[in-house]
Amino acid sequence: MSKDLVSKPVEELAPLIKNREVSSLEVTKAVMNHAETVDETINAFISMTREQAENAARQADQEIASGNYKGMYHGIPMAVKDNLYIKDELTTMASKIHGKYIPDYTATIIDKMKDAGIVFTGKLNMHEYAWGITTNNPHWGACRNPWNTKRYPGGSSGGSGAAVASDMSVASLGTDTAGSIRIPSSTCGIVGLKPTFGRVSKYGCFPLAWSLDHIGPMTKTVKDAAGLLEIIQGFDKNDPTSINVPENKYVDKLNGDIKDLVIGVNEDYYFKDVDREVEENVRKGIKKLEELGAKVETISIPGLKHAEYAELVTSLSEASAIHHRNLVNRPDDYGDDIRLLFELGELPSAVEYLQAQQLRRQLKLDYQKAFEKVDVLVTPTLPIIQPEIGQDTVDLNGKQVDLINHTIRFMGPSNLTGLPSLSVPCGVGKENMPIGMQIIGPPLREDLILNVGYAFEKTNPLQGQKPSFAKSVQ
Amino acid sequence: MKLSIRDVLKDKGIIVKNNHLPVLEERWEGMELLRKEAEDANLDDYDIALRNIPGGDHIE
Repeated sequence: MSKDLVSKPVEELAPLIKNREVSSLEVTKAVMNHAETVDETINAFISMTREQAENAARQADQEIASGNYKGMYHGIPMAVKDNLYIKDELTTMASKIHGKYIPDYTATIIDKMKDAGIVFTGKLNMHEYAWGITTNNPHWGACRNPWNTKRYPGGSSGGSGAAVASDMSVASLGTDTAGSIRIPSSTCGIVGLKPTFGRVSKYGCFPLAWSLDHIGPMTKTVKDAAGLLEIIQGFDKNDPTSINVPENKYVDKLNGDIKDLVIGVNEDYYFKDVDREVEENVRKGIKKLEELGAKVETISIPGLKHAEYAELVTSLSEASAIHHRNLVNRPDDYGDDIRLLFELGELPSAVEYLQAQQLRRQLKLDYQKAFEKVDVLVTPTLPIIQPEIGQDTVDLNGKQVDLINHTIRFMGPSNLTGLPSLSVPCGVGKENMPIGMQIIGPPLREDLILNVGYAFEKTNPLQGQKPSFAKSVQ
Repeated sequence: MKLSIRDVLKDKGIIVKNNHLPVLEERWEGMELLRKEAEDANLDDYDIALRNIPGGDHIE
């Protein structure tokens, strides 16, 4: 029974817990026992909080028994990325500098999740300070991909991706500044949603780049992502970038009906220099959406030409501003890779940063025009398949190319524009590595992209395939 | 006078590791190429849209 429990998504566990066919404590113990075994190889966890988790699960069971069922996530055990503050609990940012940091307040979204009855089981490994795409962490060890343990899980939320894919966490949260939710979601074969900028409060999350950071769900199914977004969304006066818009319902709007929906495909940018296997899988995915009744239209977004530059200057400059003092005073306490990025981020001038913001504005307006013609955009999530741990280049159709630049190419535009973007699994490629398809929507239309993802998920794109490592230990 | 990357960072109090210099130079050159490509963008009408809200972060 416990083996069956750990592999279930939230949408299947929720009715069992609600109807008291299984208790939150049983699920929590099963998931944590499984995690203790699996994590010896995967290394997705930085800390586990078993005693607090079991106490919270008992409380959830009591609440449910007394008729106070709070919703889909009540009693669901979950670990979160270790850059989200939980009062009086170790929060390391997977760094040496914050290796013993204990926050004196809790992130707004964590409070919302506690109110929804979620049981926290621990904190997850990540790229140090979220400034990278591999989760090859020099202080806490490399996190491994459960589909192929020799390979990266992606990053920066690699621990979240690996934990959900290998059933060590029923769902999770990631943060995304240049793709850090969508990259590991694509690479680990799960669903990752970067909501509209400002939709989800960032208060109590250690920043990487203020104007690009987002927090969002990483889950086994689209419905799970929709349910988690319902909990974490909402205006927060403590976050200066939070937007005051009505909260939305997402789960009830999932019906998979995409008839007459217009899907935009941009060939010049999002299908340029893409791994042949990735391209083949994503085009097949678009074809499936057409078979479900959607129409496909080719569109142009001229501002994408300069998106890479704007993303680089903005993210590098903002991250280096945040870390400037420590880079001066204790540079050796950073991992070598992010120290180099912080050094690089000290080089752009103020004029260059501001011109990057002008390019960003141009890009936003270009997307706005595109969404007058189409409902959503569909792209590959990544143009490449993540390589083996330790590599900083990757094979792209027979040519070795820079791993970072080619991993974030299709990510950055959604961070610059703040547009909601969803990655859903769309196939499995070479070396048993999953491939993701990205669905980008207009501002605040998470409901729309989730419904497209839901329709696609129903076509069973992974054909029931699971990570080989997670299967072998069950 | 063109300052080296090492000098620019030294002026900011940052000590660059020796093995970082060639990588930094390569990456910075890459960014300079992208910047030059962006010079053809006509940005005259693009306000950066930074909001300066008097009295707090949000208009309630």
